[in-house]
Amino acid sequence: MKYPAKALMSVALLAGALGHQVASADQLADVKARGTLVCGVLGAFEPFGYTDPASRAVVGYDVDICNAIARRLGVKAEIKPVSIEARIPELQQGRMDLLAAGLGYSAARAEQVDFSHGYYVSEHKLSVRADKGYAKRDDLAGKRVSFTKGGITEGFVKSSVPTAVMVGFEDTPTAFTALAQGKVDAFSVSEVVARRLIGKLGANASQFKVVDPAVGKETWGLGVKKGEAGMLKSVNDALQAMEASGEAQEIFDKWVGAKSTYETKRSFKIEPIKG
Amino acid sequence: MMLIHDYGALFLRGLAVTIALSVVSWILAFVVGIVLTVVRMTRVKLLEWTVTAFIEYERNVPPLVHIFLWYFGVSGLLPQGLQDWANANHGEYCFAAIAIALYYGAYIAEDIRSGLRSIPQGQHAAARAVGLSYMASMRWIILPQALRTAIPPLVSGSVLLVKTTSLAMVVGALELTYVTKDIASKTFKTFEAYGISTALYVLLAFTLLMLGAWLARRVRIPGR
Repeated sequence: MKYPAKALMSVALLAGALGHQVASADQLADVKARGTLVCGVLGAFEPFGYTDPASRAVVGYDVDICNAIARRLGVKAEIKPVSIEARIPELQQGRMDLLAAGLGYSAARAEQVDFSHGYYVSEHKLSVRADKGYAKRDDLAGKRVSFTKGGITEGFVKSSVPTAVMVGFEDTPTAFTALAQGKVDAFSVSEVVARRLIGKLGANASQFKVVDPAVGKETWGLGVKKGEAGMLKSVNDALQAMEASGEAQEIFDKWVGAKSTYETKRSFKIEPIKG
Repeated sequence: MMLIHDYGALFLRGLAVTIALSVVSWILAFVVGIVLTVVRMTRVKLLEWTVTAFIEYERNVPPLVHIFLWYFGVSGLLPQGLQDWANANHGEYCFAAIAIALYYGAYIAEDIRSGLRSIPQGQHAAARAVGLSYMASMRWIILPQALRTAIPPLVSGSVLLVKTTSLAMVVGALELTYVTKDIASKTFKTFEAYGISTALYVLLAFTLLMLGAWLARRVRIPGR
């Protein structure tokens, strides 16, 4: 009987050790006491969160949003790169306070995390090879479409082009390579990302085009752990103050708007997401 | 469990693809392994070196790299017509199967070689001395013992092969791990989803190990 008792005790100790970090009362109070807001940002997601080759720091739209919110909370932002698959579990396990990781709103996600007001609206479109004769979205019916796994784009294509054959890849460059090599007929991703990838090809950029209309659009919110009402409210207040002061517009212009190579138009305002 | 109710069929479809991919890769790998062994036994130095170089290349490069190389690299060297055909007919399965088969083919060749080396040279000499030809001594004396010795490493190699098919998800093959990741990211029930796929993989591997044990028992030489 000695051995099982010991095993049971070590399991109990282990559970205690693992459970320890979750036992905090109020996240907002913790953040203010600590003086840092730990912010999860996608690490390879230009222009929203990526490593700047010159400074070796993670920069981007999402990073600037984090910094602006942290400043309004009176703390310093600590940027932590996360992967697309791990972002929600990491937030739920309390390893970060806020997710600014291109987190598009969906009802299923809203059951897992609380969403702040929408701070970016992203349209997803299909990219095709210009020489294949596809002129609009619906020409891709029954064709092979690549996408990045774990994202929201798969559902958009399935509902707007239901007959498309979906081929998922681990990351966006690989999914785009599949299009470039003709392994698929189209590649579905947000327009900003599509234009960046095509733009990187330089002289070969004209071999590709983005077709209209969009397959879908998503509103991005900041992810806050469930049940942290104080945190959610101060994040929303900070976002609204950024909209009012014009700072939100500045961040947009700098990364995806007029001052960037993407030159997209800001067709949204920061406001509560309509589920 | 809700997950099995909602996604059970999807898990089973993933499992079916994993099994199909494993079987095809395994058969190809065996063919590759036997061809490599036979070529190495020709005693032509140039051929021996080529086989050794090929085996070392396959064994020293990670299988994930092989899969990428075949899917994105080698496929591009094929004639355009063949490329279009592969693209239209789920080339990801073909190229993944080829990459995995070559990788494990190298291991199988090594396993058979270690079996052959376990038979003392004296047996070969004795077989020739009683008047058997080279082929006959291989067929009746050496190979029956060598293949028996090679069964345990071949079985564990087969289990490794089944697990390696999970890497085919990187090129979009809808096998068990792809499906698991997909379900986990849709439902956020990461633990449950991976728990189910763990059970399925264990079931597969265990069946293989059982088959291997049965085979080893069946062909065992009495008294050894």
